[in-house]
Amino acid sequence: MNTAHGIQSAAWLLVALPLFSAAVLLLAGKRADKWAHLVGAAVPVILFIYAVMLFFSVKAESKGNREINLHLYQWIVVGTFKVDAGFLIDPLSMVFVLLITGVGSLIHIYAVGYMAHDPGRRRFFGYFNFFIAVMLLLVLANNYLAMYVGWEGVGLASYLLISFYFDRPTAATAGNKAFFANRVGDVGLSIAIMVMFAYLGSTSYADVLFGNAKLTQGVAAAIGLMLLLAACGKSGQFPLQTWLPDAMEGPTPVSALIHAATMVTAGVYLIARSAPIFDVSQAARTAVVIVGAITLLYGCICAFGQDDLKRVLAYSTVSQIGYMFLAVGLGPGVYAIGIMHLVGHGFFKAALFLSSGSVMHAMNDRIDMRRFGGLWRVMPITYFVFVCGYLAIIGFPLATGFWTKDKIIEAALDKGGTSGWVLGICALAGAGLTAFYMTRALVMTFHGERRWEDDVHPHEAPSSMTLPMIVLGVASLVGGYLLVFGGGFQHWLEPSVGPSVEEGVHTVSPVVLTLLTLVVVALGALGAWVAFGRKPIPITQPVGVSPITTAARRNIYADAFNEAVLQRPGQWLSRALVYFDNRGVDGAVTGLAAGFGGGSARLKRSQTGFVRSYALSMLAGSVAVVAVLLAVRFQ
Amino acid sequence: MSHLLLAETAPIHAPSVAYSSLSPIFIVLGAALVGVLVEALVPRAERYAVQMVVTIGGLTAALVAVGLLHNTAETTVAGALAVDGAGLFIQGSVLVLSVMSVLLIAERSVDVGSAIVASAAVVVGSPTDRRLARTDRVQTEVFPLLLFAVAGMLIFPISNNLLLMFVALEVLSLPLYLMAGLSRRRRLLSQEAALKYFLLGAFASAFFLYGLALLYGYANSVDLPAILNASKASPKSDVLLYVGLALLLVGLLFKAGIAPFHSWTPDVYQGSPTPVTAFMSSCTKIAAFGAIMRVLYVGFNATAWNWRPIVWAVAIASMAVGGIFGLTQTDLKRVLAYSSIAHAGFILVGLVALDKDGIASVLFYVLTYGFSTMAAFGVLMLVRDADGEATHLAQWSGLARKSPFVAAVMTVLLLSMAGIPLTSGFIAKFYVFKAAFHVAAPLVVIALIFSAVAAFYYLRIVVLMFFAEPPENGPTIAIPGWSTAVALTFGMVVTVVLGIFPQPILDLAAKAATLVG
Amino acid sequence: MSAVISTAGELTNGQVPLGEAVAFWILGPVSLAGAIGMVLLRNAVHSALSLVATMMSLGMFYLIEQGPFLGLVQIIVYTGAIMILFLFVLMLIGRDASDSIVETLRGQRWAASLFGIGFALLVALSVGRAFKGSKPVNLNSATTNANGQNVNSIAALLFTKYLFAFELTSALLIIAAVGAMVLAHLERETPKRTQKEIARERIRSGRPQPLPGPGVLSSHDAIGTPALLPDGSIAPESVMASTPGVRELPALDNPDNIR
Repeated sequence: MNTAHGIQSAAWLLVALPLFSAAVLLLAGKRADKWAHLVGAAVPVILFIYAVMLFFSVKAESKGNREINLHLYQWIVVGTFKVDAGFLIDPLSMVFVLLITGVGSLIHIYAVGYMAHDPGRRRFFGYFNFFIAVMLLLVLANNYLAMYVGWEGVGLASYLLISFYFDRPTAATAGNKAFFANRVGDVGLSIAIMVMFAYLGSTSYADVLFGNAKLTQGVAAAIGLMLLLAACGKSGQFPLQTWLPDAMEGPTPVSALIHAATMVTAGVYLIARSAPIFDVSQAARTAVVIVGAITLLYGCICAFGQDDLKRVLAYSTVSQIGYMFLAVGLGPGVYAIGIMHLVGHGFFKAALFLSSGSVMHAMNDRIDMRRFGGLWRVMPITYFVFVCGYLAIIGFPLATGFWTKDKIIEAALDKGGTSGWVLGICALAGAGLTAFYMTRALVMTFHGERRWEDDVHPHEAPSSMTLPMIVLGVASLVGGYLLVFGGGFQHWLEPSVGPSVEEGVHTVSPVVLTLLTLVVVALGALGAWVAFGRKPIPITQPVGVSPITTAARRNIYADAFNEAVLQRPGQWLSRALVYFDNRGVDGAVTGLAAGFGGGSARLKRSQTGFVRSYALSMLAGSVAVVAVLLAVRFQ
Repeated sequence: MSHLLLAETAPIHAPSVAYSSLSPIFIVLGAALVGVLVEALVPRAERYAVQMVVTIGGLTAALVAVGLLHNTAETTVAGALAVDGAGLFIQGSVLVLSVMSVLLIAERSVDVGSAIVASAAVVVGSPTDRRLARTDRVQTEVFPLLLFAVAGMLIFPISNNLLLMFVALEVLSLPLYLMAGLSRRRRLLSQEAALKYFLLGAFASAFFLYGLALLYGYANSVDLPAILNASKASPKSDVLLYVGLALLLVGLLFKAGIAPFHSWTPDVYQGSPTPVTAFMSSCTKIAAFGAIMRVLYVGFNATAWNWRPIVWAVAIASMAVGGIFGLTQTDLKRVLAYSSIAHAGFILVGLVALDKDGIASVLFYVLTYGFSTMAAFGVLMLVRDADGEATHLAQWSGLARKSPFVAAVMTVLLLSMAGIPLTSGFIAKFYVFKAAFHVAAPLVVIALIFSAVAAFYYLRIVVLMFFAEPPENGPTIAIPGWSTAVALTFGMVVTVVLGIFPQPILDLAAKAATLVG
Repeated sequence: MSAVISTAGELTNGQVPLGEAVAFWILGPVSLAGAIGMVLLRNAVHSALSLVATMMSLGMFYLIEQGPFLGLVQIIVYTGAIMILFLFVLMLIGRDASDSIVETLRGQRWAASLFGIGFALLVALSVGRAFKGSKPVNLNSATTNANGQNVNSIAALLFTKYLFAFELTSALLIIAAVGAMVLAHLERETPKRTQKEIARERIRSGRPQPLPGPGVLSSHDAIGTPALLPDGSIAPESVMASTPGVRELPALDNPDNIR
């Protein structure tokens, strides 16, 4: 491992600069309203320029020296346990840094236009810069503990941004939901870190990942499964997927940057980064694959039941990240493909979200596709960008998805055996379903007759919005090719995740598979066109549809399941406990209703506090303590 | 009846007293006595200023003394007191935080007088009461009372003798009972809180005493080392040992506010004057944990196998009660009270470790928690409406629009309590869990889950402050005077700095993690 | 329970002197009855007197257990001083049986009895078990009492082993004194009136005679009971408004309410 020198030593600026600007924007108060968005948007651009310079500096190193450690200071030292605050700059983190700052810059610029009339614009950019800072910390940290800092930070940023329009109750609920799912994941991550520490005595990547030989199967499986839980929470994977579609309540740039391009892929990063642990435990790896396969199909099916354009894209994100999980779960050699799809997805999903944001902008913030239609004439640029993204995601020949997604399908089939076939077919079916729901979205939004409500007068967005969209649109068309060109991307990642798949025995020959995939995709697209493109679309959801559609509309009952299995017992438990806490009852019953005049009412109520019931609870506790202690002693 | 007559007996030899090692205690007790004299001799007009000087001077001098003693490790006064690393760390923490509490009590610019009542003896609501409430008169006895309480807190965690520990417990509790009733606003609520605290505290003391008596019956001594030796070698049935320990624990757990002996906490925290609440929630808790640690580690080290399940159980109960009940609270002081219950559970997790790391992690945790909670209560003092402090959650909504700075400070403190990284709370939780993981992995997992639950209600407040619409005729943000500003800034800075550069204090805690038996 | 009985058996089967056993069996029930009565009796004065009975019995216990100093202190200090002070306060305040004894919390009594009995059983069984088989010893023998004397031994302990605890109790006393001042002492804010001023004022007030005392002519003389005027109506000025129990004075305008 190399130590940082030259320009690399300044990498701490990647975190410090946006953190500083976020603090300035958030604390500056109203007087900063005039220039806050300019500062906010300039920061990621500066970071991107620096990141490119950093990239070339890393590239200039010889291949074996591209893992660069930047030691900042000793964070915690307790006995033999040491945590350094430091960065690891290696090919994998460089990919993420470029993606985050690059796509981040474009979306920041887009947001300048998008948020132009929003009173909370300064706050928005403050949070957005904060997000950039913690996300970069997440990918640059050189140990799990520091990564956890970033991990919590992005969760917080996401929570704050989902609830950005707090006056909408749905936004507040969505924020809570995201928070819960993320906390479940965080517990997983913290347990994984604890287990690592307990068995390896360290949490730094260097010790954990090179010390993987010291791990037994069981311990590696425990760490792996806990990391997977964390990844599922953050990346909206089965069974913690329900928060991600709800998270679309946030402003569209948030959906594009956080809930499509970067943060939600942190789970993939985590698993790719922890590859050596998954190398030890086959069980954990299998779990990753299964989660990926289930989620990719789940996302596709749910996506075609949605009428809300952003939710379609959200489920599509769920499904595409399922592909990435599938890839990183398949094992050594496929990691690079997963990351490649991640980068490509970052481009085309951002393009799709930004263009859908542009549509929303034009349609007075309405997002129901049943009230769109025929927009391609009035919004040609948006249409162009959306189509670019569309072609990329369905894997149209030579567009990004064609290079990255097909490789995942190929790798799944190449796994061999029954499992290989099952996974391959899942992935293939997913490709067809993707084409189906994306075509449906495209047709319902941009083609067909105009089903607009009376008061909307769609128009093309301002250039501050369209320019970044065009860049992303073009990137999603040609980006995939640039990535796979000559295997450059995979070679670049080799120091981090090992060499890529060796061209060897294929279950199905690549040419046949490519053709097969194209046929499936074409069938999916055609099916959607037949179903939605040729006849008028009702402006209300038709009833009496097939059970699959109903299930898809209801997110395959995941929310209902959560409510019945998780939420209700939780509420019940909470209520039951509160019942015994007679003071708690006060709080629950009066709640917010007691309101401000509560001062005196509260005073009065409090005078009926019951010391005797407190004393009783203490007595009961004492009996329990004595009894338990005696029971333990004389068992 | 001849034995009633005084007869010639062997002369007794006075035990040696290491005056220098006990100097912090003597300094604080001396300052308290001076404070009482000040009450008697100094005219009312000057009393407040003089008391401030005496109190802060005494506490600071004691703190310096603790600093000078840092390498001491000895027992003194016939083994009744053990001055050692852990004890001194606890003493130092208590002293620093009590200086901060005094600064909060000294705040006179946000409310006329201070948060302390003008005259506690005046009937609530009487014309005199209303008249006095508008003057800047203050019941200045609060300062000597606080000093007595601090003296008790300095002795409590270094007592190796259970009888002395009991007297210290009473010395620290009695002033607290009184101070809880001295609120300037909502006096009935405050007096009720004081009475509740007193009654339940007496109840808990009775348990402590009963346990002490049974332990004496077992070990023929109330010295912790003697109890340890007896537990290793005594041929007697050890029923008494365990029943005694259980009852002793009840008394100690009560002071630390641990479920199921927590029920007083929310009411008392809510009713007491806020600076006193801050004092209770930080200093009392620290001292109580120091005592629990000493009892368990010095007196019952050999029987750890048997008491560990109890610590597990109460730790889980505490985290659950704090985490779940905290969710339904609508009053910020009660929320912080439940949070303190949950934190007590987390600290207990560290106690399970039973090694140097465990001691050090507990020391670090109580210190960081003390700073965060002290500062959080300090912030509470600033958000006010016509009735005094506006502690209802609804009144805090949209606070960030009025005062982004106060909201930001509160956010950092809440994040620290939630254990979000880059705050001291995270390092503390991590250290405690790390220490306990070797011996109690399932407990740590449960603790992690509850910390996730608890994080929800902290962040709920954050979201409320930043996102909710401010209420009409909402509270105003008072501009703090110098003393509150100093205390708040200090608490806030420590919370952040210990999150980013925790090393010096971690080293100090690790170095201090010795208990002399 | 068997443990307790077998322990009791040792008390009666000759290992302890007969006199001590007889005293135990007499005083035991008395102290227990006193303790129960203290909790159950509704009249505060009766309750306090029951406690006196218990404390006296305990003092006797200490005496027959060869702890004369402790026994006497128990009787003189606790029973003689503290409890009597208590009684004075009760009499002064004049609260009689008016305490509300309606239990408003559902299940409170039931649960309290359950846990109370459970706790008592648990501790009694444990203690009984612990002391099973232990032999009574003579506290005045040279082996059990090195100083030979009860009082001397206590003194020796107080000034050696428990020196610090003993000294620290002085802090407790100061706190208690300061606390009493804080809670009860009202400072004089105006200069004290001279006798001349008082007399002048009284004559001018049109009521030179003293105010009626509480309880005059009514069936009860507690401080909270207003006096009755000759016509049977009550004299509100006979009680202090701050006395507990007379807050709702206007509601007492019917003499029948005052028995």
